[in-house]
Amino acid sequence: MVEAFAVASGKGGTGKTTSTLALGMALAEEYDVTVVDADTGMANLLFHAGLADVETTLHDVLVEGGAPVEAATYERFGMRVVPCGTSLAAFEAAEPERLRAVVADLAADADVLLLDSPATLGSKSAILPIVLADRVVIVLQATIPAVSDGLKVQEYALSYGTDVAGTIFNRVRGDVESAAEKADRYFEGPLLATVPESEAAQQARAAGRPLLAHAPDSEAATAYRAAAARLDPRDGDSGDVADRFRSAVVPDPP
Amino acid sequence: MIPEGELLRSRVVTDLATALEDVLDRHLDGYAVLAPRETLLGAADGRGVLTFEDGVPACAYHVETDRGGPAALGDVGAGPYRFELYALEAAALEIAHDADELRVPPGMPAERLAGDPALATRTRRRAGVDADRPDDGGALEAFLEDEATVERIRESARREARRRAEEWGLGDALADRPDG
Repeated sequence: MVEAFAVASGKGGTGKTTSTLALGMALAEEYDVTVVDADTGMANLLFHAGLADVETTLHDVLVEGGAPVEAATYERFGMRVVPCGTSLAAFEAAEPERLRAVVADLAADADVLLLDSPATLGSKSAILPIVLADRVVIVLQATIPAVSDGLKVQEYALSYGTDVAGTIFNRVRGDVESAAEKADRYFEGPLLATVPESEAAQQARAAGRPLLAHAPDSEAATAYRAAAARLDPRDGDSGDVADRFRSAVVPDPP
Repeated sequence: MIPEGELLRSRVVTDLATALEDVLDRHLDGYAVLAPRETLLGAADGRGVLTFEDGVPACAYHVETDRGGPAALGDVGAGPYRFELYALEAAALEIAHDADELRVPPGMPAERLAGDPALATRTRRRAGVDADRPDDGGALEAFLEDEATVERIRESARREARRRAEEWGLGDALADRPDG
């Protein structure tokens, strides 16, 4: 039983990784959750999840004759976390097409699969998480370029038959309620949450802990829990998701 | 209303924050003309004008919509832009800067149009207003009120998604969309 979510935004700096782990931790109270750093070119998840020093990462799994995915899967904060490494050489050696099989294996064992997706739509491997996921969570900021890019993410997702689970206005500063309501009209899913800019999120990142572990009572953490409650993961056929990943078209090398 | 200034630079910018920061660092009196990509391609006259006093954004006006202030920032929309920067002595900008309906909060272009809150804070500090109080979502709201522009962005993204899917060999993964 699994539903795969891509957590995506068209641009960087929206707090996508913070959002992925926050949603993951909140959902982990009810579901078996696996979080994957699907941004193999700009690994970030490992720093947020206290995995910066681990020996084996997804990159080691994605090379020919590489490690089994279990070796790069870590039980942390009630979730299974599969980080990427930061070595450019390892990234270049990794073969992204292997990601499909890896994710298919992970899907077999999880209720909810969260794919922290690259902050770009500019390459085949970057959009693969959006292509493969059942639904996409679009992380926005209350700026014109971020919303504009979020609209593009939505159109890419819908073009591949991937539904929109909803939007999160993240790192919100100032009064943007009215703007968020106006944005909501253009997005298919609901506005899942408005998350205020939070020093706690930066401190959590520095401490290598997800926001919900570091500052569970913060306003931002509360907002993320509300967002997760609105996601309402669907029971899917895990075999179906696994097949989809396995059969997806092979992406170009990086 | 604004006489022509001395052209300092003209280039395509994807990161408006860098361009605004440069203006702030130069303490520039003058104005910038921003033309989004659509205008570059010869579509509607979507140029916006943003004036500066001592490097700080002061007024905004949009040529096609004839709107001023935060609404004009919304009308300018997302980049990339052709960014033309002109120097003009402050006295020549006085009439424009006296028009309340054209004024924008100093940090708003950085905060909402460029998406750079740190630059917005720096700009507000220079302007002598409360640096830590972020501007409201006025410019973003104005952008979202323009349904035709939003629909153009969506249509263009749909076309791009389909074109790239074919390029990337993902054509089989495309869904059938009536509007695709």
